[in-house]
Amino acid sequence: MIHVTTVRSPACRGVLESIEAPHLPRGYRAIYAEDIPGENRLAILGSEIPILARDRVAYAGEPVLLLAGPDPGRLAELRDAVRVVVREEDPVLEWESFDPDQVVLRRSADSGDPDEAFAAAASVLEARYRTESQDHLYPEPQGALAVFDYDKLVVKCATQWPFHVRDCVRSVLGVKPQEILVLPTPLGIPMDGRLWYPSVLACHAALAAYLCRKPARILLSRDEDFRFTPKKARSSVTLRAGLDAEGGLTVLEARIVLNTGAYAPLAAELLEQACLQVTGSLSVPNLRVHGYAVRTNTPPLGAFSGMGAAHSAFAAESLASRIAREREEDPLEWRSRHFLRKGSVLITGERLREKTSFEEIGRMLRASSDFARKHGSYELIRKRRSAIRSEESPRGIGIAFGYQANGAAFAALAADSFSVESTLNKDLSLAISTSAIAGDEGIRAIWRSTAAGILGIPAGKVYFPAVSTAAVPDSGPSVLSRNVAVINRLIERSCVAIRGRRFRSPLPISSRAVHRARNPLRWEGDVVRGYPFESLSCCGAVVELELNPWSLEPRVLGVWICVDGGRIASERFARSALSTSAIAALGQCIRERLPLEGGRVPEDGYREYGVLSLAETPPVAIEFLPWDDGDPLKGIGELPFLCVPAAFSAAAAQASDLNADRLPFEGGEPLAGMDGL
Amino acid sequence: MKLDFILNGEDVSCQAEAGDRLSEILRDRFSLLGVKSDCRSGHCGLCLVSLNGRTVPACLVPAFRVRGSEVITIEGFEQTDEYSDLREGFRKSGAEPCEFCRGALLLAAASLLEERPRPEAQEILERLSTVFCRCHDPAALVRGVQTAAELRARRMYFRAHR
Ligand code: FES
Ligand code: FES
Repeated sequence: MIHVTTVRSPACRGVLESIEAPHLPRGYRAIYAEDIPGENRLAILGSEIPILARDRVAYAGEPVLLLAGPDPGRLAELRDAVRVVVREEDPVLEWESFDPDQVVLRRSADSGDPDEAFAAAASVLEARYRTESQDHLYPEPQGALAVFDYDKLVVKCATQWPFHVRDCVRSVLGVKPQEILVLPTPLGIPMDGRLWYPSVLACHAALAAYLCRKPARILLSRDEDFRFTPKKARSSVTLRAGLDAEGGLTVLEARIVLNTGAYAPLAAELLEQACLQVTGSLSVPNLRVHGYAVRTNTPPLGAFSGMGAAHSAFAAESLASRIAREREEDPLEWRSRHFLRKGSVLITGERLREKTSFEEIGRMLRASSDFARKHGSYELIRKRRSAIRSEESPRGIGIAFGYQANGAAFAALAADSFSVESTLNKDLSLAISTSAIAGDEGIRAIWRSTAAGILGIPAGKVYFPAVSTAAVPDSGPSVLSRNVAVINRLIERSCVAIRGRRFRSPLPISSRAVHRARNPLRWEGDVVRGYPFESLSCCGAVVELELNPWSLEPRVLGVWICVDGGRIASERFARSALSTSAIAALGQCIRERLPLEGGRVPEDGYREYGVLSLAETPPVAIEFLPWDDGDPLKGIGELPFLCVPAAFSAAAAQASDLNADRLPFEGGEPLAGMDGL
Repeated sequence: MKLDFILNGEDVSCQAEAGDRLSEILRDRFSLLGVKSDCRSGHCGLCLVSLNGRTVPACLVPAFRVRGSEVITIEGFEQTDEYSDLREGFRKSGAEPCEFCRGALLLAAASLLEERPRPEAQEILERLSTVFCRCHDPAALVRGVQTAAELRARRMYFRAHR
């Protein structure tokens, strides 16, 4: 076995002039970009990332050279002795007011007549909402192993997308797909941090194995993982809202800027989801959106659970709370005049075909969290605060809503190539073959229950053959919403087909269901068309908190979440998934912020990174809207990312009398009155 | 250097280099992969083991320190009644830690139950906070440890009155 270590760019941006490696002992090898036998690039949904930088570097820490050899300690010494010479250029770090050449992708859309609506508006409010970059902090740093097995190179790594790993390794080595076998290892809870980066490490390990003809392993240290792997994109969403004389929201204009770092991985996916959910749970008749994914010289920034939509949902829902606050209206009542409903016009011009349940969710949350009473009394205290000096910790409570657009994530991928195959065996056990990775048992419980229900067999008879790219079909990337909305639907279809043949054909019976995105988004100039949802699941959240009167540090007292996720296959797993997401979302609100200094994540930044410990986590009360056995199963795991941050921000604004428009919360501008309201 | 120690109830010996840490010895020489290797700096708690009855991060223990000691990893702990109590408690409460955190969380919970047979919720959360994990369902973990505490108390009672 040989180990692989990465030599990285010392500069954020510049021309890579030379790499001077020391003399290497026998058994050690340096691997340069020129040594790559196939293509030196990893493709991910329209973005391209070099496997090893060749002429230019785009972020500090970008891999420029691999060293392979038998002793990891010696390798570390050799790595430190390599001199990487870069002719440095000023890094591009500004992103909110970006240069046109930084724009990787632009998306615009208009619906209704925004100009006319602004001209007729009784008042106009503008606000900007920002979120910082967050680390996924999945368990165990990333790594990959490549070993030869007869005529195949076997690659093992913890990935959410095994076929992406296979395709990347294949193209980097310049071999046929069937010469590469990918065996995924346990994922833990990846929070979408293992979508594409495992493919980079797999290519590094595979290159070393291929060139040195020995099994090769690469394993990042936690420090490397924290500093150089992709993180959540930073966002800045500016909203301009026009209201009529009764405070009704008649028009919204949004400028969404996502800082996607170097190479802008997944920019299209993030930006399109952000544009799609720019009104949060609200229906706005006139809408204009300009979205930009912007490149900077920081490490790549991209996916995190909530995939783009979380950025704009935070802005829209925070704005809704702010309007209600400044109009001195109950935030739930103001929203109930604006909720998206069946028939509401979407940004694509299509009408929403499903009923939403925000009203019922609001009623349940109001009762369970005692929202109206607490909100009323905290509001009274807020208004009198300037008159009464108190050293007591001020409190606030906020509410927000959101929906998960099941099936919308990755809808634009070459859909026809993704499938699931089910086989009913002679002993009436059912094998479901899919490359989709279930991050936890909850997803598998859903898949099992779906299949068992259709075929009338015990859930214990359903099993999942081990995932291997040689043995299971490509089911596409495994993200929370897709695992239910797409994979579960494919399982359902394949089982229905088996049921149809059940007593006509002898066992075993197999059926393969191929995914077809119904109507993916299509952007043409300032127009977007399509209806990308398979289904909607709705959610509301209430957050109550108190602030330290001097430092304004928040302490969350309680979180209440109410979900309409159709039929819930396992309440236990659903609660656990929602609680996990709610706490990760709160972490972003309270203190999780990737430390970026001059475009670099400092050494040992991991140690300073503030994550909520178990002892600090507040109680999270979760309730579900009642469902019938015939209701469809829907994805729910991402819902807290879409409403907890805005509920937190509304609570923090009430407690602090400041506009909590930036996450993590650290105070902000004093609450401003709105002319004309 | 040669190390002789008791590992999961058995006398073992192995060779180690001066800079080796216990976590590396356990994973690389004894293939005990339940000991996770994450931060390698005492920060994440994923490499917890029991060393002479104290729960410690194995990545901070220099290899030479284990000479003559007793080390129990999650693999050894899985053979005990205390483990069965915890596993049953977690199962009943719906606490489902992932494969990475499971061992360390169970060892941390077991060490708490040794000290405090009936721990309060906050004590449980504080003790389990030594293990870094993002995906918490704190209520389920508290219920899991408290259920395990009851099972343990019942088992002890029956053992004493057998
Ligand atoms: S690996 Fe030992 S504490 Fe993190
Ligand atoms: S249980 Fe493993 S990351 Fe949380």
